[in-house]
Parts: sequence; structure tokens; C-alpha cells
Amino acid sequence: MKKVLVLVCVWLAVQTAFAQEFKVAKSTGRLELNIGRVTVEGHSGNEIIFSSRDHRESKDERAQGLRPINGMGLDDNTGLGINVTQKGEIVEVNQLKKMNAPDIKVLVPKGVIVSFSHQSQYGGKVTFKNMENEIEVSATYNSIELENVTGPLAIKSVYGHIEASLSGNIKGPISIVSVYDYVDVALSPATKANLKLSTSYGEIFVGPEFNIEIEKQGNWVQYSEKVNGKLNGGGLSIDIRADYGKIYLRKK
Amino acid sequence: MDKQKWEGRLIDYIDGRADATERAAIENELLHSEAVRNLYNQLTEVIGAMNEARVLEPSGKLKANFEQALQEEIESQARPTKTVFFSPVVYRVAAGFVLLMVGLAIGFKINQNNVEADRLVEIERKIEENRKVMLAMMDNQLSASQRMIGVSVAYEIEKPDDEIVNVLVKTMNEDVNTNVRLAALDALGKFSNEEQVRNELIGSLKTQKDPVVQIALIQLLVKMKEKGVLNQLEKITRDAGTLKAVKDEAHAGILKLS
Repeated sequence: MKKVLVLVCVWLAVQTAFAQEFKVAKSTGRLELNIGRVTVEGHSGNEIIFSSRDHRESKDERAQGLRPINGMGLDDNTGLGINVTQKGEIVEVNQLKKMNAPDIKVLVPKGVIVSFSHQSQYGGKVTFKNMENEIEVSATYNSIELENVTGPLAIKSVYGHIEASLSGNIKGPISIVSVYDYVDVALSPATKANLKLSTSYGEIFVGPEFNIEIEKQGNWVQYSEKVNGKLNGGGLSIDIRADYGKIYLRKK
Repeated sequence: MDKQKWEGRLIDYIDGRADATERAAIENELLHSEAVRNLYNQLTEVIGAMNEARVLEPSGKLKANFEQALQEEIESQARPTKTVFFSPVVYRVAAGFVLLMVGLAIGFKINQNNVEADRLVEIERKIEENRKVMLAMMDNQLSASQRMIGVSVAYEIEKPDDEIVNVLVKTMNEDVNTNVRLAALDALGKFSNEEQVRNELIGSLKTQKDPVVQIALIQLLVKMKEKGVLNQLEKITRDAGTLKAVKDEAHAGILKLS
């Protein structure tokens, strides 16, 4: 009997040490992710669940009994290398190390607005999957991939590419901008939308399934490539810009 | 517009009684004032109708027959108290016809004015409603997309008032989200003919730090052929902290403007 109890205790200890989950009960409001890389997925629960996808590094024996601190005065209150703080409607997530961004996965309930913001070059890919949430991204170097999302989207990356695959009941407005890299958007050709596609030095490619009524551009002299038009008579606003990169609009 | 005075002048003009200077003045007004043009069109129609009515002179035979009948009547009737002449009858018919036409025209015009007034009231109510919703949306701190929708409502407005312009300018310069700032810039670009908006756009070039907005703003100012920003563009090309893409855009802008 004692043995069983000990075993259970050990199992629990191992579970907490390796499962590495941190939960915040929240199904509305706004989640602000100020971290270098992340995978965000939608789920139907009422909690925001953080977990780490890093392989556990070997323990630092010297750091035993000490706690990491950083210049922003943040604690690792999750055990995942991130600090999660709740301020009213907003849940703020910051990483502790400046350079090595931990690989974090977040499960988010439907009603939470998700905002990602990262300006340093020490980051990685940011992925959003299966989400009906409103998503905001403001990045400088990160590439952004959105799979099976509905919008609304407000996405910006200066150097990274942006791929978005929109499905389900798409909600506007959708605004996607990259300065230097490509923007690739897949959506149903039956979508009713007001399209604005613009590039200064890139090109615009559109699938043959899309029937765009292009608005004539008045008397303005056009220096850059700019296409304004209605898709299936117009509807939600879809605004895509890639100044130096290419724009791809393809059938989903 | 003094309608009666104009009616008199236009009738003279149409009948060819106006002298050369008067004719020139009226022709000028016809080109520029829609109200005068409308009045002119109505009058030509009425006068045309009158002229047509005058043409309806009965044939000689009919006239002879009538006069003969009249003579007989006069002879047969001992008391020639009521004298009826031919031509006044035609004129009376014509006058009646003209009155009818004018009445119809006025009635139509009044009716049209009412319908238009109703429509204006309706449009004004909708604008006011939109405005409130828009301003509330643009104040939603949690959701960038709500603020963006607010801005896009402003984009639909034909002529924005000061409050809307101020909110759009504030959004363009201060919103935390780039995409929202871009949308506000886009909306203001639509109103760039207004002096105030133009000045705000020029001023914003100094304060914008986000490369995505800077590029769009430079493109817009170049499109507006705003030479006043040449100095600022020069500064941007020399600023070490500015992204290369922005400097390139500024260089391109300088080339296009100068």
C-alpha cells in the first residue's frame, strides 16, 4: 500500500514537472503575446492554456535554489520561460530571455481577441490554427502563418512573409501587410468582398476562379500596382499589401 | 436667385428681345447656375407650347364658314349684345393650355422638392446614426478590427465634419495598431482635397515612425503632388534610424515631385 502511494506521488511530481501547462480561466477579453514565437490554436474550453514545446534542457545544477530575474522585473510565474499577468480584461504574456524565445503553444477559447507583438529579430515563426478569434499581429521579423482562421485579421510584418488560409464564415475586416516578403491568401472564390490589393515593386497573382470587377482608378497617375475591386458584388473588406513582395490570392 | 426677375430676363432672351450684353450675361449664368438652366428649360417648353398653339390657325375655309355663320347669327338675332371675335377664342384656348402646362410643371416641381427634402432628412438621420456608431467603434480599445470598421464607415462619408476628421487624424497618428493607422490614412486620403486634411497629412509625415504607414503616407503625398514635403523627404533619406524601404520610397517621392 505504501508502495502504491509513493508511486502515485512520484507520478504526480513527474506529471507536473513535464506536462508543463499553465492555465488562465478566461473566455473573453484580450490576450497579448509579446514573445518571439508561438503556436496559437483555438479550442472550445473556457481557459487559456499555455504549454511549452521545448525539449527540456539539462538542468542547470548551479542555478539550483536560485530564481531567474530579468530587467523588466518579470518572474517566470509559469515554469515555461514566460510571465503571464492579468490586468483587467487583458492577459499579458512576456518572455523572460531576450534572445532565445521559448517555443510556446497556447490554446485559446473562441471569445478571446489574440494579439501578437514582437519587434526584435530573435524570434521565429508564428502560427495560428483553427481559430474563429479576432487576430492582431504586429511583427518586424517574424513570419506569420494562419491556417483555417475566419478573421477579423489585422496582420503586419515588415520582413516576414504572411500566409493566411481563410475558411468557414469569414469575418471582416481583413488587413494584411508585409513590406519585404510575400503575402499568400487562400479563400473561397464565392466570398463577397471589397478587395484592395497593392504592391509597389512586386506582382499580384490571382487564381482564375476569382471574378473581380476592377474599379477604374480615375485620373490619378498610377506609379504602383494597385487593384481595387469587388468580389461577387462586394462585402467584407479585404486589404492586402506587399510593397516589395508578391501577392498571391488563391482558391481555398 | 430672384425667380421672377430671372423669368422676365429669360423670356426676353428667348423671344430675342435681349441686347448683346444681356445675352452674354444670361448665357454665362446658364452655363454656371443649374437653377437658371432649369428655369430656362421650363420657359422654352412653355413658350414653345404657346408658339405651337399660335400655329393652330384654322383654315381659310373654316374661317369663312364660321364668319358666314356668325353673320347669319348676327342677322337672325335682333339684339347684337354679345360680340364674339374669332382670334381671342384661340388665344383663350392657348392661354388655358399654357396655364394647365405651367400648373402641371409647378405641381411636379413641388412634389419633387418634397420627395427630395424627405430623402435628405432620411440621409441626414442615417449619417448621424453612422457617425455615433463610428465614433463609438473607433474608441474600442480592445479590438483593432472594431476600430478598423469604424474607420471604414468614415470612409463612406461624402464630406466629413471636423470631429470626424480630428478622430481620424488622431487614429492615424496614435492608434497602437498599424493596420488601423493605415485604414485611417486611407480614409483621410479620400478627403485630401480639404485644406485641413491636407495639412494634417503633411504634419503626420514628421511623426510617423511605423515604416508601413510611412511608405503609404509618402505614396499618398506624392499622389497629391504635395511639393511642400520635399524637405521632410530629404530628412527621411538621411535619417539613420529609418528602414531602407522607407528611404527608397522617399527617394522615389523626391524624384516624382521635383
